[in-house]
Amino acid sequence: MKNKGKRFLGLLLTVVMLLTLVVGCGGQKSGTTTKEVKMGTILPLSGSAAPLGKIGQQARDMAIEEINEAGGIKSLDGAKIKMVYADSKGDPAVGVSEAERLITQEEVCLITGCYQSGVAMPSTEVAERYQIPYFVDVPSEDQITERGFKYIFRLAEKTSWRNLAQTEFVTEMSKKYNTPVKTVGLIYENTAWGQGAVRAWEKYLPEAGLKIIMKEPYPTNSSDLTPVVLKAKQLNPDIIMMVSYVSDAALLTKTFAEHQVKPLAFIGTSGGFADPTYYNLAGDASEYFFDISTWEPDVNRPSSKEVNERFKAKYGYGMNAEAVKAYAGMYVIADALERAGSTEPEKIREAFAATDINEGATQMYASQTKFDETGQMINAPLVICQYQKVNGKMERVTVWPEKEARVGSKIVWPYPGVAK
Amino acid sequence: MTGININKNSVILAVLVVLLLLLPMAVTKPYYLHVIIICLLWAYLASSWNIIGGFAGQLSLGHGIYTAIGAYITVILFNTFGLSPWLGLFVGGGAAILLSLVIGYPTFGLRGAYYALATVAISEGIVVLLNNTGSIGRFTVGGAEGLIVKMVGNSAVAFQFNSKIPYYYIVLIMVFLIIFVAKWLKESKLGYYLVALREDEDAAAAMGINVRRNKLIAGAISAFFTALGGVFYAMLIRYLEPNAIAGAGMSTQMVFLAIVGGSGTVLGPVIGGILLALISEIIRFYLGGQLMGLHLFIYGMIVLLMIIYQPRGIIELFEKIGQRFSRKHNDEGGRSGAEDPSGA
Repeated sequence: MKNKGKRFLGLLLTVVMLLTLVVGCGGQKSGTTTKEVKMGTILPLSGSAAPLGKIGQQARDMAIEEINEAGGIKSLDGAKIKMVYADSKGDPAVGVSEAERLITQEEVCLITGCYQSGVAMPSTEVAERYQIPYFVDVPSEDQITERGFKYIFRLAEKTSWRNLAQTEFVTEMSKKYNTPVKTVGLIYENTAWGQGAVRAWEKYLPEAGLKIIMKEPYPTNSSDLTPVVLKAKQLNPDIIMMVSYVSDAALLTKTFAEHQVKPLAFIGTSGGFADPTYYNLAGDASEYFFDISTWEPDVNRPSSKEVNERFKAKYGYGMNAEAVKAYAGMYVIADALERAGSTEPEKIREAFAATDINEGATQMYASQTKFDETGQMINAPLVICQYQKVNGKMERVTVWPEKEARVGSKIVWPYPGVAK
Repeated sequence: MTGININKNSVILAVLVVLLLLLPMAVTKPYYLHVIIICLLWAYLASSWNIIGGFAGQLSLGHGIYTAIGAYITVILFNTFGLSPWLGLFVGGGAAILLSLVIGYPTFGLRGAYYALATVAISEGIVVLLNNTGSIGRFTVGGAEGLIVKMVGNSAVAFQFNSKIPYYYIVLIMVFLIIFVAKWLKESKLGYYLVALREDEDAAAAMGINVRRNKLIAGAISAFFTALGGVFYAMLIRYLEPNAIAGAGMSTQMVFLAIVGGSGTVLGPVIGGILLALISEIIRFYLGGQLMGLHLFIYGMIVLLMIIYQPRGIIELFEKIGQRFSRKHNDEGGRSGAEDPSGA
């Protein structure tokens, strides 16, 4: 056939183009001077999570600037940190591709990232295969550090730890205010996040002697949650715990107020309840609701306020818990490099494993930074905050644990009901 | 065609095959090889879609479910029973064929936009199912948290390699296979039936072609090969996330590449897949970490320009060049009206 020749010619040209690219790119070699420590970060810099990726990038940039201005890595003759950012688009396959590129092409000595757990799972596996340390600052999926990997270190808490902390909080409050808590109702969105939380609650709540009398999943972005709320009113559990994205969180809050549901406490699990638009949507009905997180702007930790102010001055808006982890993470990395005195991945890995930081910039996140043998940060800090009116304005007030609570704050327990 | 011409074609073919086979010797950086593998995988997936979407003209916007079913079944069998993915892929492929028949039987009666909408609805439904299914009995599906392929190190039986080279050769064979299948199909009786029902379904039926049966066959072939692509994706990335493997992104990308390359042709989707995937990687490589989303914008612009100025696919461009080339050399006057460059 005549067309055959043309078709193959077409394919041939394609291959030629392919080869040209390969040769062209192969030519440029990344020159590594002794004065630079090159590392890579994978973040969602485009796609739906792009704003969250951007704040992570800004937090890193600020920390790197500070570290470099303070003389870089001293054990490496004052080498400066150079960060190469890679865009995962929030897609696991792209994350893998970018991890490959950072390691084999950019020749980074370590990788940080990467916001989504779904990207962290496969991209950490790439690093493990190449034996390059991967510093996971934000993703919280339990499994990430439960796969027996040697090169993965995680600064964030595990998802299930939030549910454990909620349980501890309830137990402590019930003793402190002498309000016996026996039963808990769980209301959660029915995807991975909610399902994971329920698994953890089912483990921790019975261990603390609490009985789960209600388990109510609902589809995300529901238009009406009245049936769920009425069921809660009827079963009347002592505590109601929730996992929700922002629109459902606000809808639940308003519907509870409407039907005058009055347990001892409403406790959210970050996400929607921590979203800045939550209060705008739910209004005053959100008063006295509890939420859990790892960092709050008012948290009573050394240097927390100052760093947040610097960030605000630089970028025009405040930090969030993820930005704090990214920022503190850079100091953990700098500390490991300092002790490793080398850019060899194996040396850096050993240094990470031996990390034990009890002072400095990481204090705004945790008083002690240390990893267990799985690479998981031990005692990742968790705080409970409560929506309270301060000078007539609704604020998230950090109330627990006591030593990290906002100075002069008071817990309102039990839930007094919605203000009329 | 004269004997000289056939020899020339054979030479070009031989040179091409040798070049492709030797490629890993020239490309020593794993990242570049990874990019080439991804490009070839997209070429393969676009070609698989092309069988039902291009040849039979059924605009399926939900082919992600076939990559998903192939990948999930193979990985679940491997994780649970240790069944080699090389065998598992036949189970996954078989399940994809079944699924395509179950979906195709009621939907192939629908025409045009209705069929496309039905495929979107079904695939969205399956994404929701995958997101919400943690496990079925003793089989872990992973739900929205995703499914990890058990890591066993370097093992050919387990379809896991530390080096990128085996993946390259496997995907290369897959691309050759799908080109062969597409070529065979196009020249077979089934191929002519499909073209007939694509151009005018009623006329085809009036001529005695069993429209639904032929659509079902084409759909099954397409589903089977798409599922194999899903298995390859699973073994390369070693992690399955419902939205990534079955979601709209996966489904539409296949359609996109095939149409930009030239749907309904044998090599169009291959060229579209390789070129666009390559452009996407190159742009991300140079612009990725910089201005947010700029690389996606540029990629979108390139695709837009291609669709405006080359609506019948890149393949047509290559054909024109090829035509000029062969005319110059053979001084042939023979050209068909459809391929007349002045007609564009």
